[in-house]
Amino acid sequence: MIKVEHLSKKYDDFAVLKDITIEIQKGEVVSIIGPSGTGKSTFLRCLNLLEQPSGGSIHIDGMDMLDKKTDVPKIRQKMNMVFQSFNLFSHLSVLENLTIGQIKLRGMSQQDAQLKSLDLLRLVGLAEKAGAYPDELSGGQKQRVAIARCLAMEPEIILFDEPTSALDPTMVSEVLSVIRRLARDGMTMAIVTHEMDFARDVSNRVLYMDEGLIYEQGTPEQIFDNPQKEKTRAFINRVRSFNYRINSPDYDLYAMNAEIEAFCEKQILPRKTRHNLLLLVEELLQIYNPYLPATHLDLTLSYSEKKETLELVCENTGAAVNPLDKNLLPDELGLAIINNLAESIDYQRVNDKNRLTLMMKKN
Amino acid sequence: MEIQTQKEANATVVTITGRLDAVTAPEYEKKMNELIAGEAACFIVDFDKLDYISSAGLRVLLSTAKRLKTKGGQIRFANVRGTVKEVFDISGFGAIFQMNDSVAIALTKIA
Repeated sequence: MIKVEHLSKKYDDFAVLKDITIEIQKGEVVSIIGPSGTGKSTFLRCLNLLEQPSGGSIHIDGMDMLDKKTDVPKIRQKMNMVFQSFNLFSHLSVLENLTIGQIKLRGMSQQDAQLKSLDLLRLVGLAEKAGAYPDELSGGQKQRVAIARCLAMEPEIILFDEPTSALDPTMVSEVLSVIRRLARDGMTMAIVTHEMDFARDVSNRVLYMDEGLIYEQGTPEQIFDNPQKEKTRAFINRVRSFNYRINSPDYDLYAMNAEIEAFCEKQILPRKTRHNLLLLVEELLQIYNPYLPATHLDLTLSYSEKKETLELVCENTGAAVNPLDKNLLPDELGLAIINNLAESIDYQRVNDKNRLTLMMKKN
Repeated sequence: MEIQTQKEANATVVTITGRLDAVTAPEYEKKMNELIAGEAACFIVDFDKLDYISSAGLRVLLSTAKRLKTKGGQIRFANVRGTVKEVFDISGFGAIFQMNDSVAIALTKIA
């Protein structure tokens, strides 16, 4: 139904979309997730030429969207779009917002258009608002009207561009339930969304976009429960990271502590967790100290908001050695504290580096 | 870290405020060595205002206590609580040192 090959989009020298190739079949519900600014909305807008692609091809039911002879407005009726900001006509009533396209673009009579519009308003639970104006509606109601207006054009595909991003949290569910219903009815949809639970249960397929590419795709179970690639994992588990490099044995412990505390504060970690983390880091640095004249040490602290886990990775170059090997330590005081604070400790030699991964115990 | 000393009839009370860590531990050690060299023999270290201790702090507590022992002196710790006590317990220090719930109690225990 939708076939995209090697699609790219550049703004001057900046490539938003690098090389997108994908097919969407009839009846599929595809959610597109990923961090902000990775081209999700641009991809959707390129599909119906609201943005002109810089390269590649888009075929909708075999018709080449980039062929000058293609009737793009006609295809846009077939592949309609729902926007984050609703885009209703504020000077028209709810009913008129629905009928105008049917009358002007599809040549329907006013009476037929009104009857069909009322049916659609019933479908989205807003028949009683037919005579109201958009300004009299809540955000959630406006978005449901926008969906009804989209349906009025009898599309075969609907593109949703962050349909709930502009809504108060209380209004998100009413819009999502309308989209869920369309999915149950077999509508083909591509949905850019930040609502992960929704993407998980409404979709047949999830695309994770990053770096202007479809970085990883799969079933909701594959993407949400067992993502294969590092960036997907970080996004799904809502991982926030902090890096710090120690270059000499005369490092500034308090400057580093201040940065770690700022990171913890940003993640709203409890005071006790912060204390234990600072203690863990100090103990590790004491143990690493003999190695620091010859190598630098990279610390990466990652907090998963979803799993509420805190992981610390220490990497250094130089000879293969596990710095926590107790035979190499002058005493076991620091190691006892580290063992008590960490739930798991793993040493590996990776790419000529010593990598120590510590998962902190939860308080 | 701040260190304050108070001379009582039978002991010197050393109050540590803030952090006893890799940065401040040498300062504590220096101060205690000065006091020991100045003929003070009995100490009570008050941890009431200590927020943080690491193994670097534990090591200087141990080294100064050992030095004092060779000179026949004695040391007791008071008000070891919260996260500081946790670190003591993890490292087994709770069993090595004489600890009391307050400076007043510790003073009565000094022989």
